[in-house]
Amino acid sequence: MANPFSRISNALGTLPRWVYVGLALAFAIVFPMLEYFGLMETLWLRLGTRTLVYVLLAVGLNLVLGETGLLHLGYVAFFAVGAYSTAILSSPRFDLQWNFWAILLVATGMAMLFGFVVGVPSLRLRGDYLAIVTLAFGEIMRMTLNNWETLTNGPGGIPGIYPPNIFGWVVDQPAEFYYLLLVFVVIIVALVSNLKNSRIGRAWNALREDEIAAHHSGVRPTQAKMLAVIMSSGIAGLAGAIFAYYQQFINPTYFLFMQSVIVVCMVVLGGMGSIPGAILGAVALDATPEIIRQTFTAWLPRAVGSDFLPGVQAALQTEFDRYRMLIFGLVIVLMVIFRPEGLLPNKLWRREVREEDPRELEHTRQHLFDFEEGKQDLEV
Amino acid sequence: MWSKRTHKLLALGLAVALVASLGLTGCGSDETEEPDDGGAIVTDTVKIGVHTSLTGGLADYGFAAAEALKIAAEDFSGFEVDGVVYDIELVIKDDKGEPAEAPVVAQQLIDEGVVAVIGTLTSGAANAALPIYQAAGIPMISGSATAPDLTEQGFENFFRTCLRDDVQGAALGEWALELGAEKVVVMDARDDYSVALANEVAAAVEAGNGEVLRQEGQEGDVDFSAQVNNISAFGPDAVIFTGYHREAGLLFKQLVEAGVETQFMGGDGIKSDLIGEGAGGAENVEGTLCTFGGFAQEGMPGYEAFAAAFRDATGEDAGPYAENNYDALGVVVTAMELQDSTAPADIIAGLGEVEFQGVMGTLAFDEIGDVSVPGGGGSELIPRFEYTGGTWVFIQ
Repeated sequence: MANPFSRISNALGTLPRWVYVGLALAFAIVFPMLEYFGLMETLWLRLGTRTLVYVLLAVGLNLVLGETGLLHLGYVAFFAVGAYSTAILSSPRFDLQWNFWAILLVATGMAMLFGFVVGVPSLRLRGDYLAIVTLAFGEIMRMTLNNWETLTNGPGGIPGIYPPNIFGWVVDQPAEFYYLLLVFVVIIVALVSNLKNSRIGRAWNALREDEIAAHHSGVRPTQAKMLAVIMSSGIAGLAGAIFAYYQQFINPTYFLFMQSVIVVCMVVLGGMGSIPGAILGAVALDATPEIIRQTFTAWLPRAVGSDFLPGVQAALQTEFDRYRMLIFGLVIVLMVIFRPEGLLPNKLWRREVREEDPRELEHTRQHLFDFEEGKQDLEV
Repeated sequence: MWSKRTHKLLALGLAVALVASLGLTGCGSDETEEPDDGGAIVTDTVKIGVHTSLTGGLADYGFAAAEALKIAAEDFSGFEVDGVVYDIELVIKDDKGEPAEAPVVAQQLIDEGVVAVIGTLTSGAANAALPIYQAAGIPMISGSATAPDLTEQGFENFFRTCLRDDVQGAALGEWALELGAEKVVVMDARDDYSVALANEVAAAVEAGNGEVLRQEGQEGDVDFSAQVNNISAFGPDAVIFTGYHREAGLLFKQLVEAGVETQFMGGDGIKSDLIGEGAGGAENVEGTLCTFGGFAQEGMPGYEAFAAAFRDATGEDAGPYAENNYDALGVVVTAMELQDSTAPADIIAGLGEVEFQGVMGTLAFDEIGDVSVPGGGGSELIPRFEYTGGTWVFIQ
């Protein structure tokens, strides 16, 4: 069914891809300048920085969930490994202040190691079982952080994380963190999109579509899956390391199961197996709730003035937060109804979710017809 | 059969109806808060941020803080600084008690142009928000963030009007020793507050040559049979639980059912009359003892009047730490008057030398920003309560 939404996206799809990449990048670069010139509150810059962390996470999880088709529900655990590596190696907790690059290496490496450790037993499992194992791992990680007080200071968390020092550049302003993250996002996206079109990327997609067929075509399932899990863990570790620097404080409540679910939602909403989709999903899911909140608590009152229905406005401001997530949920429900393949799906996935192609519909019908007639289905 | 389209429309319509109905109930409970300007010659207003938790698990504490501050804003409005009479405008924001939300809220308040912030409610949120207020040079005065490390980190913009966990922890441990306890179970609920408090309690008991068995639960637990077994085998003279009343009630009930005869004790998390209900009857927890992290309300010069004003304004009794928040605004105003300026940097300087006569008594801050009482004082300041006949009764 061609609804207006997909018609618009089809029309937009006619422009070459580099136009969109260029526009998105240009917007990302200009965004902090809006704050610098006083066109935007610093709040939005801070939210933009947080969104970039989620973009890294979504792009990382997309490798496992979107490309390889493994339902991973403990992704936040690797994010936590990266964040805690930074917090431990660059804070007054153990009086350490390691070099930024060394910490980045340790954070990414540790996360990859954990990815490997989790991958060894769990990648033999499929579907629901993998989801259960990764979910359990996420919880184990959170419990460990909560209970290993000598290392992590337990529920109290680690405050006072020192800002990174990159060749003498001390990163401590929101705009500086924004650009630092943007650089990493660009590097990771470039890396992952090249990988996606390589032999290994195709192997991942083949595994997602049909593991047995892929295996018989010469793909080693366990190896290929392991590579996806390790790489995506490394990206989460990297994101965690920068996140910890940015927050200057972390405790186990940052790494709840809900966070993993949100990142999964970002990938699914954006479109499985599509990097632009993962980015858009992260931006949409992280920014939308804040935009809704600001609309009701700041912009709307400013636009209509405080004299307009003051009672309703006061109620909106105090009660709104309770319904914010409800509206957010509604948006997701609407998405699932009207655009189940995600905002910017890749073509293969889209075809799988919606059998829009007339030939496919015909094929399905033919199949049914042939079955009834007792004939063999020879039509492609 | 319905077509696919009808299904979609139906689902959409139901969803809209659901949201609309919830939206309407939300609008039903509107409350008006119009500060009257008392006839003073208003020449300017100063914005003070309130960074608290109005939703989430500690919403009742946040409500108490926000309402106390509204009363305080009315009471303190009309102070004179540098020849200008100022009114206070509160900007109240909610961080749900989550550290992840705290930086966003902090940035919002800074963007609003507040000169000082009263908050945060919890220590975790304080840790996350402090670097941002510090970078913006905004003073932050908390009425309820009790983690010792907050002031130990050397932030010059942080002050608090509540006593620290180590003070309450020591008081709780010493009390157990005073009662003659030699074997003490110290149990926490694995959240930042209860663990910090439990660590201090255990240290105090061990310092007095008591024997300590540490146990832990989780918030939301209902079955404590493993812990009850351990506690029963240890045979303690006192069981001290530093978590909240819901788990405390269940734990104490299960200990009673297991036939463990011991003195139940807890921190201010259990100081809710609902503990009797959770324990399956007030008789199960009769004689339970608890401390409170604030100052003794019974000894406060202005508490009666404050509590009455709070009841008038909200129709409810003043919740925990309400008076600490009220006085936090008082010290900020005093600091502005002292420095004859409303600039954040001057407020920070002023807070260092302020001596304020508030609801809780005479307040000042020491060099790291902890509240200090003239003449000093430590764990003996902590009030003690006993649960008798279904309610907490002040002992000393």
